[in-house]
Amino acid sequence: MIEQLDALLAQLDALQERALRELEAINSLAELEDWDVRYLGRHRGELKNFSTLIPKLGKAERPVIGQKINAVKEKLESALEARRQELRDRELREALERERLDVTLPGRALPAGHMHPISRTILEVARIFTRMGFQVVQGPEVETDYYNFQALNIPVDHPARDMQDTFWVVPGEILLRTQTSPMQIRVMQATRPPVRVIVPGKVFRHEAIDASHEAMFHQIEGLLVDERCTMADLKGSLARFAREMFGEDRRVRFRGSYFPFTEPSAEVDIDCILCKGSGCRLCKYSGWLEILGSGMVHPRVLREVGYDPRKYRGYAFGMGVERIAMLKYAIGEIRLFSGNDLRFLRQF
Amino acid sequence: MRVPLSWLKEYVEITQSPQELAHTLTMAGLEVETLDYIGADWGDLIITAQITHLEKVPGSDHLSYTRINTGSGEIGVICGAPNIKEGDKVPLALPGARIGDLTIGVARKMGYVSEGMLCSPRELGLGSDHSGIYILDPETPLGVKLADLLSDVVLEFAIKAHRGDLSSIIGIAREVAALTHKPLRLPEPRFNEQGQPAAELVKVTVEDRELCPRYSARVISGVKIGPSPDWMARRLLMAGMRPINLIVDITNYVMLEVGQPLHAFDYDLVREHHIIVRRSRDGEEITTLDGVPRRLRNDMLLITDPQGPTAIAGVMGSAISEVNEGTTRILLESANFKPASIRRTAVALGLRTESSSRFEKGLDPELTIFGANRAAQLMAELAGGQVHPGIVDVYPQPVEARSILFSPAEVEWLTGLKVTSRQVHEALSALEFKVEEVSAAADAAGGEQLLRVTIPTFRGDIEEGADLVEEVLRMIGYDQLPATVPEGPLPEPQGDHWFEREYEIREILIGLGLHEILTYAMTSRQRMLNLLAEVNAQTAQVLLQKPADDGQAGWVIASAQERAGSEDDLASDGRKPFDARSLPAVTIANPLSNELECMRLTLLSGLMETLQENSKRNRAGLRLFEIGRRYLPRGAGELPEERRCAGLALCGPAAISWVPELARPADFYDLKGIVETLLERLHIRRYRFSAAQHPTFHPGRCAVLEVGRPGMDNGERFTPVGFLGEVHPLVQQRYDLPHRAYLCELDLETLYAAVPERLNYAPISRHQELTRDLAVVVDQQVPARAVQEAIERHGGELLRTVALFDVYTGTPIPPGKKSLTYTLLYQARDRTLTDAEANALQERIVAALGEEFGAVLRS
Ligand SMILES: [Zn+2]
Repeated sequence: MIEQLDALLAQLDALQERALRELEAINSLAELEDWDVRYLGRHRGELKNFSTLIPKLGKAERPVIGQKINAVKEKLESALEARRQELRDRELREALERERLDVTLPGRALPAGHMHPISRTILEVARIFTRMGFQVVQGPEVETDYYNFQALNIPVDHPARDMQDTFWVVPGEILLRTQTSPMQIRVMQATRPPVRVIVPGKVFRHEAIDASHEAMFHQIEGLLVDERCTMADLKGSLARFAREMFGEDRRVRFRGSYFPFTEPSAEVDIDCILCKGSGCRLCKYSGWLEILGSGMVHPRVLREVGYDPRKYRGYAFGMGVERIAMLKYAIGEIRLFSGNDLRFLRQF
Repeated sequence: MRVPLSWLKEYVEITQSPQELAHTLTMAGLEVETLDYIGADWGDLIITAQITHLEKVPGSDHLSYTRINTGSGEIGVICGAPNIKEGDKVPLALPGARIGDLTIGVARKMGYVSEGMLCSPRELGLGSDHSGIYILDPETPLGVKLADLLSDVVLEFAIKAHRGDLSSIIGIAREVAALTHKPLRLPEPRFNEQGQPAAELVKVTVEDRELCPRYSARVISGVKIGPSPDWMARRLLMAGMRPINLIVDITNYVMLEVGQPLHAFDYDLVREHHIIVRRSRDGEEITTLDGVPRRLRNDMLLITDPQGPTAIAGVMGSAISEVNEGTTRILLESANFKPASIRRTAVALGLRTESSSRFEKGLDPELTIFGANRAAQLMAELAGGQVHPGIVDVYPQPVEARSILFSPAEVEWLTGLKVTSRQVHEALSALEFKVEEVSAAADAAGGEQLLRVTIPTFRGDIEEGADLVEEVLRMIGYDQLPATVPEGPLPEPQGDHWFEREYEIREILIGLGLHEILTYAMTSRQRMLNLLAEVNAQTAQVLLQKPADDGQAGWVIASAQERAGSEDDLASDGRKPFDARSLPAVTIANPLSNELECMRLTLLSGLMETLQENSKRNRAGLRLFEIGRRYLPRGAGELPEERRCAGLALCGPAAISWVPELARPADFYDLKGIVETLLERLHIRRYRFSAAQHPTFHPGRCAVLEVGRPGMDNGERFTPVGFLGEVHPLVQQRYDLPHRAYLCELDLETLYAAVPERLNYAPISRHQELTRDLAVVVDQQVPARAVQEAIERHGGELLRTVALFDVYTGTPIPPGKKSLTYTLLYQARDRTLTDAEANALQERIVAALGEEFGAVLRS
């Protein structure tokens, strides 16, 4: 009986050794399940086969062999569980590896548009002045001679008309506005002081088109009328504009000029944004860049709209948007703005 | 206006450098545009020299061999110019000197050695004369660098339109004197008068005293016509005028010097020696000095004699009484003409002259005598003329110097610059204003200091206080202005919101991947007609369409009713060849070119042209938009209607991309999706798209967008906003586009009328939602919108949303049919909906679809 017992124990040891060896070689969860059935299966598993021998053993031998079977079973089960975990981890790792992306491929970007530099510049200027209490208004682009010229103290046969060659619709009566200034008149006629408006818009000049001249371009007009404003306020407002638009350290310079609808009139320069005033090609070695024309609203213009020039004072200014944008973005040619080349537009 | 510094210095002492002077003047409003340095490139090797010996070179018909005294030695020079003789002083370029691109060297020619070159005025940059060597003044010292003797700086000014007094060297000198606190030295014309008095020699009749306030005439006899002296010719050249002959040069010289245009007639050619100043008669003609015959209008002022016109007053003379080689007696005109008349005449004739440009800015009538006398003096001194006694001066209403009461406080009131009465006094006096203090009590102006300022007659631009403030500011300096912040009250909100609205649209479209473009508002009728697949009177009408604002769905043709003539054209046979000119548009009377002859009626042609331009160099597709106006003509004499619009254009794939969805060429639904997103962003919920016909678009791929507004009787009225569609293949070909293009034009004014004024929040229901899918099969022709509307109608209040998620044709769907699959979401606001309720609704919808469209459930 002893021999039989020893033989059984030896068989169980051999079984365990064989099972563990096979387990070691298993590489998939499917094989693992086969192995599980083969050794630990409840019905035909090899270990089960030993259990069926137990009743045939003697009383003293039964617990020995039972313990041995349990020990082998535990050993195999824990080995199985460990192996299963190992294989699961590996399979996940492999699955993740298979899903690796080339993260350097371009993304599915939604197409992005760009604002035209003129619109962008107008917006920027408008924001600066709305922060100073100005409101934005617009006006007709096809205008009358009265609003574009006469009401602005530019009567018929006035030589100042030479400064602004005109596209006529009805000669002498209806024209494409040569400036945004006619809105000064329209705004003042429609309201009473205080007035603070800026007027962005298209203007037209009968000029041959070249690198620095356009037949259609954009202006921004500014107008402030109340009972206290002075030319010093004009200078302060424009200095603030220049700093916000062109940089904190910008200086402005006023010099005498002539516009029929302002008196006194001033041309406004900023120190050159490129050379900071030491002289370069951009500023024609003067150190200064002309950015706009301005002045105090002419008493004749105030009287024309029924404002008493002894009571009300006002300032007005007008700037070329293309000019401002060219300085701001270092653009050398005005024609680029109407050229609509996407290689240009995409940069803004 | 070109002002040689050496000439300017005759009237005022100048201690500043040319740059400093230019700066001073520029700051005071006399902008110096350029500084032209004459002789800057002459160097040290061009010197003065004298011809001591001259011999013809044997065997040459024009070359001479000269011996030249250089002041320190003698050299030989070969010269080909015809005008030199022994004793002449000349500019000599020594070996090594540079004349333009040429470097002078030692040359051997025909047996002689030439050690330099004699120079002409043109070679020296002194003007255009190249007919001979520049003969220097006989007093010129020898061996001196020419640059030391003749170099100069010319200041070039742009004279502003209101300051006729600055169109002269003396006018500029007066400003320099005032700004630099130096005295002005005016020439004092002195000459002897002898012979018969002018009044006996010439008669002047001014018929039109309004256009000719003053006419002064002198007579000078015994003049010799010849070339001008070197100094005068050089000054004319540097000032930009061409020397002609001594007499004409003197009139030009005096015009440049004092600003008074003059005209010299040959006295003996003025018939009956009678000058008549009158307006032209209709149809009269004159051939001006430039040889051009000109037909005159009856508002033009003429200088005539009893037999006809001899000059266009203030503009140009004619050959009839022109000074010529045989002239000995001069009738000198020094007159004043009304600025507006001169300007009108010059503009009408397209003839702008030195004279007309001065008159049109306004000149001082007091200047005529000074100008005439200065010219008479020069004619006596330089041309050997005899000045006859007296001036024939027709001056019925002498100008009076005006004066205005001015308070120095006005300067601070208007500019914020604090000035003293004394500063004001000094500034104005320096500019030759007469300033007197007026006792305050006498004028009872609240005790403030007042000045009576008398305005010099040459300052016609000064009219009131603000003008004097500017003069004071110019003298004290604009740079003295303080910078302050406006402290006045802010205005009430005013105006419309179009600026903000247009930027809102911009931002939305940019966010949707469209690039903003900005094209010319001017175009041509032909360029716009290019948008139409077939051009005829009827299809052309779409260019004039605008949304009807009378509440009827549909479009109206802008202003067609008002334009009786064109209405006939448009309504008549649509098949006959269409004349582009009959398309009503805002026409530019003086266009830059035929391509820019009118204002645009649509944004679409600009978009198509931009697609065309960019598609040549762009492999990726194009997505563009423009925000701008259409200009719809109204009645004659009225301003056009300017309608704010947005135009959209897609062509080709959104991007060059490895992502198929992005690389796919744009189609109709891309464009429609963009428009729908725009509507969503604007919170416009009531709108509809319907199939439409439009001559720009593919007949089966065009829609009209209408937005709804609550109408009368609780109904809804829809107003069209614009069309969108696939560009007709014929139109696409015309613009040479590589892909199908998609266009849309929206009327922003109509669009914004549909934007809700305020947004109302609807509480979110907490009750359960029930979802049901619905797949129906209908005929291909049934529009999806109709099915969707029927579902919504029959679903009623409990149907919260309907979304189409599948459109399918092909097996097993029978040919000619399509399957539409929706997901429907049922929910009640106030209770939990039961399955039975939802199922009942679903059945009702299915039944209704069956009835309306013959729809069957997809099995
Ligand atoms: Zn610079």
